[in-house]
Amino acid sequence: MSAVLLGQALVGGLLTGAVYSLMAVGLSLIFGVMRVTNFAHGELMMVGMYVTVFASAASGLDPYLTLPAAAVSLFVVGYLLQRVLVGRVLEMPEEIQVLLLVGVALVLQNGALFLFGPNHRGVQTPLALAALPLGPLTVDVARLVAGGLAVALTGALALFLGRSRLGTLLRAAADSRDGARIVGADVNRLYGVAYGLGAACAGTAGALIVPFFEVAPDVALPFTLTSFVVVILGGMGSLAGAFVGGLVVGVAEAIGAVVFAPSLKPVVAFGLLVLILVVRPTGLLGRA
Amino acid sequence: MRRGRGRSAAAIVTVAGLAAVPLVVTDSYTLNTLILVFYYAYLGQAWNLLGGYAGQLSLGHSAYFGVGAYASTLLFTIVGLSPWLGMWVGAAAAALLAVGIGLLGFRFGLRGVYFALTTLAFNEILRVLVLHWDLAGGAVGVFLPFRGDAPALFQFRGRVPFYYISLAMMVLATALVAWIGRSPLGWRLKAVRDDEEAARAVGVDATRAKLAAITLSGALTALGGTFYAQYYLNIHPSVVFSTPLSIEILLRAFVGGAGTVLGPIVGAAILTPLGEFSRSAFARGGLEGLHLVVYGGLLIVTVLFFPRGLVDGVARAWRKLVS
Amino acid sequence: MGLVGRPGMDRRAFLAGAGAAAVTMAAGARIGAAQAKTIKIGAIHPVSGVLAQVGQACRQGAQLAVAEINRAGGIRSKDARLELLVGDSESKAEVGAAEAERLIREGAQIIIGAFQSDVVMAIAQVCERREVPFVVDVGAADQITTSGFTKVFRIFPTTSALGKNGAAYLAEIIRLSGAQVERAVVTYTKDLFGTVVSKAFLQAMEAAKSPVKIVEVIGYDLTVQDLSTEVARIKAARPDVLLPFNRIRDSVMLVRELYKQRVPLKGILSPGSPGWYEKEFIEQTGPLGEFAMDAPPWYNPKSPLHGRVEAAFRRAYDRGVDTNSGYSYEGIVVAADALERAKSLDPAGIVAALRTTSIKDHLMAGGPITFDAQGQNVNASTSLIQVQKRRPVVVLPDAEAEARPVFPAPGWDERT
Repeated sequence: MSAVLLGQALVGGLLTGAVYSLMAVGLSLIFGVMRVTNFAHGELMMVGMYVTVFASAASGLDPYLTLPAAAVSLFVVGYLLQRVLVGRVLEMPEEIQVLLLVGVALVLQNGALFLFGPNHRGVQTPLALAALPLGPLTVDVARLVAGGLAVALTGALALFLGRSRLGTLLRAAADSRDGARIVGADVNRLYGVAYGLGAACAGTAGALIVPFFEVAPDVALPFTLTSFVVVILGGMGSLAGAFVGGLVVGVAEAIGAVVFAPSLKPVVAFGLLVLILVVRPTGLLGRA
Repeated sequence: MRRGRGRSAAAIVTVAGLAAVPLVVTDSYTLNTLILVFYYAYLGQAWNLLGGYAGQLSLGHSAYFGVGAYASTLLFTIVGLSPWLGMWVGAAAAALLAVGIGLLGFRFGLRGVYFALTTLAFNEILRVLVLHWDLAGGAVGVFLPFRGDAPALFQFRGRVPFYYISLAMMVLATALVAWIGRSPLGWRLKAVRDDEEAARAVGVDATRAKLAAITLSGALTALGGTFYAQYYLNIHPSVVFSTPLSIEILLRAFVGGAGTVLGPIVGAAILTPLGEFSRSAFARGGLEGLHLVVYGGLLIVTVLFFPRGLVDGVARAWRKLVS
Repeated sequence: MGLVGRPGMDRRAFLAGAGAAAVTMAAGARIGAAQAKTIKIGAIHPVSGVLAQVGQACRQGAQLAVAEINRAGGIRSKDARLELLVGDSESKAEVGAAEAERLIREGAQIIIGAFQSDVVMAIAQVCERREVPFVVDVGAADQITTSGFTKVFRIFPTTSALGKNGAAYLAEIIRLSGAQVERAVVTYTKDLFGTVVSKAFLQAMEAAKSPVKIVEVIGYDLTVQDLSTEVARIKAARPDVLLPFNRIRDSVMLVRELYKQRVPLKGILSPGSPGWYEKEFIEQTGPLGEFAMDAPPWYNPKSPLHGRVEAAFRRAYDRGVDTNSGYSYEGIVVAADALERAKSLDPAGIVAALRTTSIKDHLMAGGPITFDAQGQNVNASTSLIQVQKRRPVVVLPDAEAEARPVFPAPGWDERT
């Protein structure tokens, strides 16, 4: 194993990890605000991928320019999902919530199969094949853009939650339902917004990867699982933790693929998960 | 007392009726569908012990299923041990795995989603490891040699023996669950499920009760894995260690009613024929995928309107009607 | 025409009957006349689930064949039309077996399918129990025809044949070009197909004492999300050629990643896996997918049937015939031919007819379709194809070649 190979794995892992981060931030946000584990997270990402494919094909625009379309439509999907379905089970046991979202995942995945067929669909962008030399390494431009935008969007989200009035309310609602009510907020709408933002994160992550990872109805499950690993690693509900966790998982998978075998990648991620559950169940940056 | 006797009588009549079915029905397709109902009811019942009675959501039951399928199959193909014996080795191995997962999860206080994800993670790890285990066939899986009619080797040409085996498995598992439900262990499990802190406060060893449930649940599930291997004579890591299988199992119990004796049976009796029907109705006309949309939709509807399962929903409706 | 008991003549008549000219000549009178009888064939493929894409191609091939045969007069010796009952395995053995039961109950007298070897094995047991003949259109695991089934007939090549032919084509292409090929990397997906075929290929390379050194073998999970690390490993191994065993999605990812990391290669030659000839691959990779070679079981472009079938396919489905749709098409042809010749339509009669199958002019590459005692088509073969000008063309064997192979392929940046 050469240094070049390790370096290449490190760069690739960081860039892939940044996209994991964006997805996981969405998952963590939903969990943090309303204590719901979004088992349909990967499916929401898949919907974002399809939106991008169709929006860029219909408009003739570069898929990076149709990013807002994916973000906005997934926000709406997430908002409605919370108001129509998830909102009804917030007071119920956790497993009921999980099963509801498993049902949603089944409907989304197979609805996509029914509507769009099984074929893989991609987008055309000149960036998809561009690469930059970095010494002996190669940096993939599409992944660089995806990673960079993922970092920027996560930062923007953190800023929004920290500075804006809505963000303050969201954080208040996360701390306690009554707390938000006291300051006069419509908690249900706040929850809808939180779910919408979380879904938008997943959808945007989907839009960012579709230039180099084609969409098909069945792509979701591994991404859902990876997001879980990332969020638990970083600490459930911690946005900074989700961000760091994404990078850690991305790098660990890439290094694992070099050191062991690429097909053992999933073991690396899940082994990490079990390890963290044993050593520090609250995650890297989570609070007990 | 009287009510209990009435129930036992109803159960005996039902089982006798089901046992008589192959005398009347010879259609292989119908028998196969019934076998699948019993088989999933059995698996749902095994899951029910942990997921229903103990209230610990497992999303990784295919891990035990896979261990059972692989243990009996490899013992047969490599050592020549009859699967009738190998299945108990598989059950023991799965029980060990369950104890391991249980110790890890319960000792470290993993609950709810954390526990669910741990079970899921274990299943994924096992799937990938078996994919890499060449002695166990690796990514090729194992094809069991087809021996035609070989009762001593758990192989039969016809459907009828499998019908009775699956029926017996379902009935025995149901009896076991009913018995445990009324035993001290059952009470402890329910107490832990409803309020773990309160249960601990009155002296219930919650960890031990949950460990008992996961061990039994895992061992029973493993026996189902052997049944699968013998019925289809082929196992593959991506099938027997798969998250979709885990979900299929828990759906049965949940839709019928987790934590009730009849829940998994009712769930399997509804979902399996529904799956068959919607597949033949939709997939024929190029409506691929629609039947799984129906499936998911049914799950959502159940969660929203019958969160305690259909058995409970019907019972409530009945009580309302009577009173 | 349509005489029972003279298979040779009958077969030709049947195939000619399927041809457009013969339709008017021989069957014209029959068409329109009410054919009271229908003979049902069940076709089970993974039309939903992970493999839905190939599964639907298979189903289309079967549907097209049935339509053509009916247009040409159906099963004339029995004065019957064919009816196709379709089933969906959802890529699961358990579902495939249930579907076989259902189709048999609905009256299927022959089953064809099922693309995945594990599903094939499950269906084979149902067919064995129910004594219904089963024509395996696609499914490569050796076990399918070595497990002692008596109702199973496979027209697809075995895994061993795929591996052996892949090694032979690699040697041949090197010999023809005179290029220096010393190092090679093998990649494969960690699923049943990728594992067994890559293993068979590596064994064949060893048995043939190939001078090409396999410097690295890389396996990855079927659900892989990103191949950059794998490609970095390929690059580090400095191969002359890449020998991948994969599915469709990863072939696109692989080619793009090879380009981005500018891995210098004399060529890509897949010894028989899908993913290198589909419309989706060619559209998604454009110039980068150009010159990719594959040695799958393929159609014979010189077959008298090819032009017509290809045109019918493009008309009906907006894509050309390929391995999967072609083999399912051929599965129906084999079934119909047996039905035509069978002395009786009970299972024993159909199985006996299948045993004496000998179809000389057919769509896919290889000699006449005939089955050995185990039910394996002994003449199942593969071709070497290459993407040239955005179209997969046969380059070897010479007798079937549509174009000359381009090897070594031009560098990544010299392609158009």
